[in-house]
Amino acid sequence: MSQINIEREFRKTEAEPLLPIEKKLIGWSLGIGLVLLVALGIVNHLFPASI
Amino acid sequence: MATTTTWNEATPARADNVEIAPRISEDWLSLIIGLFIFVLALAGIANVDLLGWLVTTSVWSDVSKALGTVSKSYAWLGGFGALVATYLALLAVLSAAAVALKSDIKKFALAFTAVFWIAYASWIAGNFANFAAVTPADLQKFGIGWSLKLTNEGAYIFALIVGLVIANVFPRFAEAIKDAVRPELYIKIAIVILGGFFAVTAAGKLSLASSLLLRGVAAIIEAYLIYWAVVYFVARKWFGFNREWAAPLASGISICGVSAAIATGGAIRARPMVPVLVSSLVVVFAVVEVLLLPFLAQTFLSHEPLVAGAWMGLAIKTDGAAIAGGAITESLILAQNAAEGINYQPGWILGTAATIKVFIDIFIGIWAFVLGYIWTNHINRTSDKASAWEIWQRFPKFVIGFLVTFVVGLYLALATPANIAAKVPAAMTEANTLRVVFFILTFFSIGVLSNFKKLWQEGIGRLAAVYFISLFGFVIWVGLVISWLFFSGVKPPLAS
Repeated sequence: MSQINIEREFRKTEAEPLLPIEKKLIGWSLGIGLVLLVALGIVNHLFPASI
Repeated sequence: MATTTTWNEATPARADNVEIAPRISEDWLSLIIGLFIFVLALAGIANVDLLGWLVTTSVWSDVSKALGTVSKSYAWLGGFGALVATYLALLAVLSAAAVALKSDIKKFALAFTAVFWIAYASWIAGNFANFAAVTPADLQKFGIGWSLKLTNEGAYIFALIVGLVIANVFPRFAEAIKDAVRPELYIKIAIVILGGFFAVTAAGKLSLASSLLLRGVAAIIEAYLIYWAVVYFVARKWFGFNREWAAPLASGISICGVSAAIATGGAIRARPMVPVLVSSLVVVFAVVEVLLLPFLAQTFLSHEPLVAGAWMGLAIKTDGAAIAGGAITESLILAQNAAEGINYQPGWILGTAATIKVFIDIFIGIWAFVLGYIWTNHINRTSDKASAWEIWQRFPKFVIGFLVTFVVGLYLALATPANIAAKVPAAMTEANTLRVVFFILTFFSIGVLSNFKKLWQEGIGRLAAVYFISLFGFVIWVGLVISWLFFSGVKPPLAS
């Protein structure tokens, strides 16, 4: 069973700058996530869990 | 999905193991076995007790009184007889599963024998009164002056620690039993069984249960949209990881550990060793979280039990560790409240952790599809296009089992004549006994997979640094805030 040393592999790997599509993915994910979270927070406040 | 801390470069497999796939996946097997146990338990409704011989363990000061049968009608079997019967039954069922997984049945049977007996012996040891007794009445009952007050479910930690010792001190033995070290299979079976048990719990307080389900939506948003984006950014920008490593790592830390890392690895066509190593890391950190978070929750959240349950579901990665962490948290918090004179109904904290986790799991396939679409259309344009079929392929099938047992259990408890509905809780309690056994096997297996030395030799330090910073600097605390936001003030019903 041959094994790889990850650290050695990282040193050999060339840097990959963030592509515009990755920036979009990060930005949209965060944006939609935060907006939905606020919306759900409001719903949660208006309709509290009933016991 | 079992994880290992090594990999073979020459293995001709995709990240998702499609080429080496056995007759049936662990996912489907867990669903089938879980439903099989559920159906056996339901025979109790027709007054046919098919699972009453299962072993249960009580807190003990005299070991001869530690074991018993779940049903008094099988008391003649004795505690040790029940343990042997439980072992033989599981050996038969899981050996059949091993055949379906194309494992060597003899190797599996031997390995499972070792796994079962060592894990259960750890569980029995953890139920020793000086470790597990909680209330002053318990101390008096067992005639002891002190206890660590870990509760009986704290014994899971004993199984975990024994597994860790085997992995790190006796690695050859860990290798010898690896055929039966399958935490994902065990926990998925347990989750399917848990659906029925949770249904019985929820039937008593339907409006609260539906409120919990709705709040599970918030967990999905957090895990997929907020956690993932932040961790991916940190891995790429601050630590300079390439995309092949950063995407499975972000999924592993933010979504559901092992399953998500492997699904993401497959979606972006990463080499098999990438998600496998990320999965190893996920398991190791899950161990640390299980050892830490339930006690933090007991200390700071004992008066917000459901916040604690939701926090376990959100913060602890891997299904096994999260739900087992929920079980320990429930045990610790219920005991602490009981000592203060407040007796909450059991099942709600664990149920909350499981609901959150299952909700997160449901969307792994969709998220893998989204990533696959972006990678094939915008990043690696030469690769094959991601197909919608992959959503189904990545969908965790055991979730279907959880939903089926939950819905059927709820129907039986609420929509059947009173004489039938009254028998459902007892039937689910018997099934729940096996859920506990599968939890024990999960804890032990997670420990056995955590060979810290081997991971370090593989140069996993930088990967671990991202994991550590993201998990302890962000994921755990944001999870706590979100849990507080949506679950604070929501208390479990009081035990009648």
